[in-house]
Amino acid sequence: MKILLIEDDREAASYLIQALDEAGHVTHHASDGETGYAMASSMDYDVLVIDRMLPRRDGLSIIESLRAEEDHTPVLILSALGEVDDRVTGLRAGGDDYLVKPYAFTELLARIEVLARRSSPAEAATSLEVGGLQLDRLSRKVERDGEPILLQPREFRLLEYLMKNAGKVVTRTMLLENVWDYHFDPQTNVIDVHMSRLRAKIDKGHANPLLHTIRGAGYMIRD
Amino acid sequence: MYRLAELWRTTTVRLTAIFMLIFIVFAVGLLGLIFWQTTIQLQRQQAEQIDRETFAIRRIDDDGGFRATILAIGQLASQPGPGIYYLADPTGQKIVGNVSDLPSEVVAEPGTYSFNYDRTPGLSDGGGDLRPRQGNALVRSEKLASGLILVVGRDVVERRGFTAIVFQWFAIGVGGILLFSLIAGIVTSVRVLRRVDTIASTSNKIMAGDLSERVPVTRRNDEFDALATNLNAMLDRIEKLMQGMKEVTDNVAHDLKTPLTRLRNKAESALLESKDEAARREALETTIEESDKLIRTFNALLMIARAEAGTPSGALNEIDLSAVVSDVAELYGPLAEDQGMVLETDIAEGLHIHGNRELLGQALVNLIENALKYYEPAEGKQGLIKVSLRSEGGRARITVGDNGPGIPEVDRGRVVERYVRLEKSRSQPGSGLGLSLVAAVARLHKGELRLEDNAPGVRAVIDLPA
Repeated sequence: MKILLIEDDREAASYLIQALDEAGHVTHHASDGETGYAMASSMDYDVLVIDRMLPRRDGLSIIESLRAEEDHTPVLILSALGEVDDRVTGLRAGGDDYLVKPYAFTELLARIEVLARRSSPAEAATSLEVGGLQLDRLSRKVERDGEPILLQPREFRLLEYLMKNAGKVVTRTMLLENVWDYHFDPQTNVIDVHMSRLRAKIDKGHANPLLHTIRGAGYMIRD
Repeated sequence: MYRLAELWRTTTVRLTAIFMLIFIVFAVGLLGLIFWQTTIQLQRQQAEQIDRETFAIRRIDDDGGFRATILAIGQLASQPGPGIYYLADPTGQKIVGNVSDLPSEVVAEPGTYSFNYDRTPGLSDGGGDLRPRQGNALVRSEKLASGLILVVGRDVVERRGFTAIVFQWFAIGVGGILLFSLIAGIVTSVRVLRRVDTIASTSNKIMAGDLSERVPVTRRNDEFDALATNLNAMLDRIEKLMQGMKEVTDNVAHDLKTPLTRLRNKAESALLESKDEAARREALETTIEESDKLIRTFNALLMIARAEAGTPSGALNEIDLSAVVSDVAELYGPLAEDQGMVLETDIAEGLHIHGNRELLGQALVNLIENALKYYEPAEGKQGLIKVSLRSEGGRARITVGDNGPGIPEVDRGRVVERYVRLEKSRSQPGSGLGLSLVAAVARLHKGELRLEDNAPGVRAVIDLPA
């Protein structure tokens, strides 16, 4: 994957470039807003990671300009401003996701990979399938190998989010944000309990489990 | 004493000066009016007197002939007063009179004249010889039946003397009033300045750092006392806030420094244990855990500060409170079950309030997590958390009750304060900020957090205006 990182903190940037490289991504870096905008509009990237506060040009204005030019490359905003309103203004400017500093690298990586997926058509599909597990988004029915599985509405949304991002790591915070629409950080393992219930419903009695726990990062659904 | 420039700057003195100026303008105007009116009046009077005397003398002349006239004029001329009498023979030669050098045309041609003349001594009245030698007269000359020429007049200087006296007294009066108001203005200004100075010196002391200083309040109960009372109330508030700030910074220093020190120690030991790969890895993992805890504490602090300041990010809008409460209860239900507890709900439907969904959600999460954290499993006892939302008398009440160890009544007020963690809870993880955040969120919504006895256990009530 080809990523453009616009971040003025050189130390943080060099760490991110190295870590993204280890994860198998090619990262270009710009340390100010003007250079970043020039690179973003002249080259093709899969994901843009943009710091909100940048020298020479503010991060949100870069996104607004790109969107005005019909450039719909997914954008992840990095910011020290973490209030709900800051998030709302960030997303309204055209950002696709918002991550508050300080963050764990696994969180950033998971979000970047999910974002890149977003530009693919899986987003709009009415039916999702992962290794015999089928989810119909219209009739809201789930079955595995032809056997129906009864899910609570919240469990359905949880599974839908996971399957939409099949093969990608999904963090607990991402689940809380996308399934419950809350942005705080629960102190207890509240998400894990929901996941183990979901796992019991979809994986019980099957030889190969689909729902995997990725240690230190989150969850993933895959074959 | 106050310098003149400082005094001039005071409002009272300026007002006094303006009043004085207005007063002077009016006084001068009034004086002019009086002067003008008396002059007209006196002029008329003099003209009438001259007319009357001329008439009387004409009759004497008609009845008694020139001898009687000469006698009468001689008598009149010898009397003291402002009167001017002069009698000449038909050729213009003076016969008798108290003026000597009349202009020739006065005698030659009958009519009314005004002219200057030299006084003859003897004209002066009894009031000393203050009047000038030069006189100014208003006269009328007339040819009598006997052929004599009569000149009757009045000394105008006399009249002017009268107006001068009026003017003099008027000036004394005006001067007196001006002097008096000047003194009164200065005295009141000095008093006002003194009151203002006490306030200023108090605020100077406060600015220098002594927050315990207060503006003295007198028993006069005037506007300055009202101001001083207000200022003192404001100072009380500021002092309390400052104390709160100090406590917070002390606590922040303590609560952030302790984990920071742990973090540093971990990192150092990881360096030392560089040979043992597993130990090093574990040390680094603990380091990350510690820093996550730090971030969490920091976030909680920021959230409390924002909720308390009521900044735009704590902005309120129309939200479905029932949905918030049932969502959070649903989120924590499975976790409670996993820990051997039951989470019951009793949520009124469709309750909407003006609020902040994210903050209220976080507050509810904190309450439920507290109930989970302090639950002590015991034989034959089912752990219970009851989350309810009710609308009572125009208020929305969110309650989270448990049957756990509870909080002793004496400590209930204290646990809401920041960083207060009861001895029993020290072993549990947490920042000690959970309940203070709940309280801050309740305050942001103009409500309150109450902790009640659930017998057994504790019941937290977020009481909000609907």
